[in-house]
Amino acid sequence: MNSSLSFLAGILSTVLLVPSAARFLEGQNNQAALAKQSSIVFSGTVSQLGTVSFAGVPQSPQTIVVRVDFVLKKPAAVSLKKGDNVTVEVKDPSAFQPGTQATFYTEGWIFGSGVAVKELGHDFNPGGGAPAEGSPTGQPALAQTPKQISDQDLQNRVASSDLVVIGRITDVHRWTIPKSAAARYHVSEHSADWHEAVLQIKSILKGTKPKGNRMAVRFPLSRDVAWVNSPKFQKQQEGIFLLKKDQVSGDPTASVGGYQVDAYTCLKSGDWLPLSDEARIRSLLKN
Amino acid sequence: MKALAAFWMRLLAFTLLVLTAGILLMEKHAPPKTGVGADGPPSARTLGSVYAALTRVKLVDLIPASLSGETNQDSEPFLAVQTANPQVMVASAFTPNPVSSSSNAPIYVSEDGGNSWILNAITPVPRMTCDITHAMPTGENHPRGDLHAGTLACAASITLDESESNDVSSSAVMNVQSTRSNVDQPFVRALAISKTDHIYVGVNDFNQPSGRTATVDVSVDGGATYKSFSIEARHTAGQDGPSVRPAVAPDNTVYAAFFGWRKFNGTSATSDVVVVRDDAGGTGPRPFQALRDPSDKLPGRLVVKRTSIPWSNAPTLGQERIGSTLSIAVDPHNSSTVYLGWADHGQKGDIYTLHVRRSTDRGLTWSKADLPQTTISNATNIALAVANNGVVGLLYQQLSAGRWVTHIVQSHNAFATAQDLILASVPADTPKQQFLPYLGDYDYLLSVENEFRGVFCANNAPDRTNFPQGVTYQRAVDFSAKTLTDGSGNPVAVSIDPFYFSVPVIP
Repeated sequence: MNSSLSFLAGILSTVLLVPSAARFLEGQNNQAALAKQSSIVFSGTVSQLGTVSFAGVPQSPQTIVVRVDFVLKKPAAVSLKKGDNVTVEVKDPSAFQPGTQATFYTEGWIFGSGVAVKELGHDFNPGGGAPAEGSPTGQPALAQTPKQISDQDLQNRVASSDLVVIGRITDVHRWTIPKSAAARYHVSEHSADWHEAVLQIKSILKGTKPKGNRMAVRFPLSRDVAWVNSPKFQKQQEGIFLLKKDQVSGDPTASVGGYQVDAYTCLKSGDWLPLSDEARIRSLLKN
Repeated sequence: MKALAAFWMRLLAFTLLVLTAGILLMEKHAPPKTGVGADGPPSARTLGSVYAALTRVKLVDLIPASLSGETNQDSEPFLAVQTANPQVMVASAFTPNPVSSSSNAPIYVSEDGGNSWILNAITPVPRMTCDITHAMPTGENHPRGDLHAGTLACAASITLDESESNDVSSSAVMNVQSTRSNVDQPFVRALAISKTDHIYVGVNDFNQPSGRTATVDVSVDGGATYKSFSIEARHTAGQDGPSVRPAVAPDNTVYAAFFGWRKFNGTSATSDVVVVRDDAGGTGPRPFQALRDPSDKLPGRLVVKRTSIPWSNAPTLGQERIGSTLSIAVDPHNSSTVYLGWADHGQKGDIYTLHVRRSTDRGLTWSKADLPQTTISNATNIALAVANNGVVGLLYQQLSAGRWVTHIVQSHNAFATAQDLILASVPADTPKQQFLPYLGDYDYLLSVENEFRGVFCANNAPDRTNFPQGVTYQRAVDFSAKTLTDGSGNPVAVSIDPFYFSVPVIP
């Protein structure tokens, strides 16, 4: 009898609790995804509907004004603090009334004497101004947008790279434009000032290892606004290089150690990472 | 009787002495002509005679209060004023999207004549443009916008977008009307003619054959279609210089100036300074061929032949690069009068020397030498405009005694006499450059009704002595401590900001 009761209780709890737990976990995942996607996350109290908090923001039935109670995530450049009034363009204005307390997951919209944002999602805060219990946004790490590249960005970059290499730069020299590619080069403030780095390969995290242990990586040394965020390499520099076959400089090949090999480029900020990111990349490659 | 006369003489002398002392004392103790909303009299320095008229100058740092924590190098400014409603303006700079690297690059919008500005991310370019200029004619009756922009996107290949917004206050991303790669430095001018926006975009188009790259893109249907015209008729050193500058008059006269590069050695260009003209808005059978040079009968008047222009894509004039500053402006009520300004090696010992010349016969002949006192040492970012009353305005930035000094000069007689106001004088060695250009490859000046309006970039330290005409900050500042703050009282590092100004046109 006892065992039957236990069995029935087990069935019942499975039927009742597992979906709730699943929903809870799903909610947590959604919140975490929203928090990652959002540039500005704050908890606040709705003060006005159908209006805006500063001149220059287009007023509509979807715009509401929210007084900030807690700022959970924002870029350092943005001035936003407790007590500020924020205009939020919400998805469903009928979900809000004056006095409603919620955590808003948003993207920046208009910046003037105040901040206007567009809602990506929200959680109601039934107990007051604080974020909902268990909300991932309550973590101090979200207080400001981390400057490092996000896992999602990194995963995308790794996916779009032809090669991901751990190695060390052994030489850097100005790349001489070959005659075959000269026609495409003109003088401009945005000229890349191409340089070529010889990369000694230590290991390959993605892609097929090229012949030999060295390869050519082209990069722009220019300080022009178009290229300033591109990695600039120096001799003896070590790290993880996210590389693409060169489709930019005009010559897809390079000469390394007397051999003609494929040339690669490393162009975007974050296409070079320190060795300390190795475990992170390996983990992302498994997913 | 003699004694009485002497008494009156002494009394008169004493009275004059007291009056003079009183005036001097009042000037000494006058409140500073700076601060939020302050309008001060000019600290006018003259090139010739002094115009005694009092001046009301507006100078506003464009960074909004809600971005008080930013430290970007917001260089290379530009300005557009809505023709039908000059209260509406758009400005731009190398300002990144403040919250996202994948969202659109922003513009600054003012709807109150430049007193306040918001940042609205509506350009078609991700994060930050690599060049942006724009204009706001109102041929299509879009009173809150009708912005036509030329933008370059920073990517592996640099791409030009020619795009339009019908409402610069909306959040709708600008509609791209034309796009192509392999071009440089789009420079947009536009005018409403017969209820249609005529748009002229100077570009250095490397797709043009035979290295004749100086080009004007012309649209006479509000940007729906563009035609590209090479305006270079001569052999080049493989290309022309980056700057191609159109100027449009209401009578459909269009001028364009460019650097015809004849030789280039990597550090210096041997260049003609060329002006072309079109009398039918660029719509005739032979566009931009109305002017021919007497020396070779080819289209394009050679205002200056084979001058040496330094080219340096590294900090050279202070922390700024140099190589292609150029401006042309036409009198809106007399299209025969046109001014041209550029910089070259110039005088011995100079790094970069500005020059201004004038034609009063539609570009056929030009002043043989620089206009009086417009040969300006170690200066860049020249911008010219002509007001409705024929007064010419000259904006430039000069490196002087370790400071970047921004001047707005006005003259009604081709600089025989002029009023010269210093808008800003800021340290040239701070902040350290984040990239090039440091201040910009250009700034901009427009005439609007009875004002000159413009934009320039400068060190943003809130020090009243840096801005002799007064200044307004939207971002949080502590003038007494001369520091920027993030809105919560925390200090923020000095950076380069764009500044908007307006100055009344002299009589």
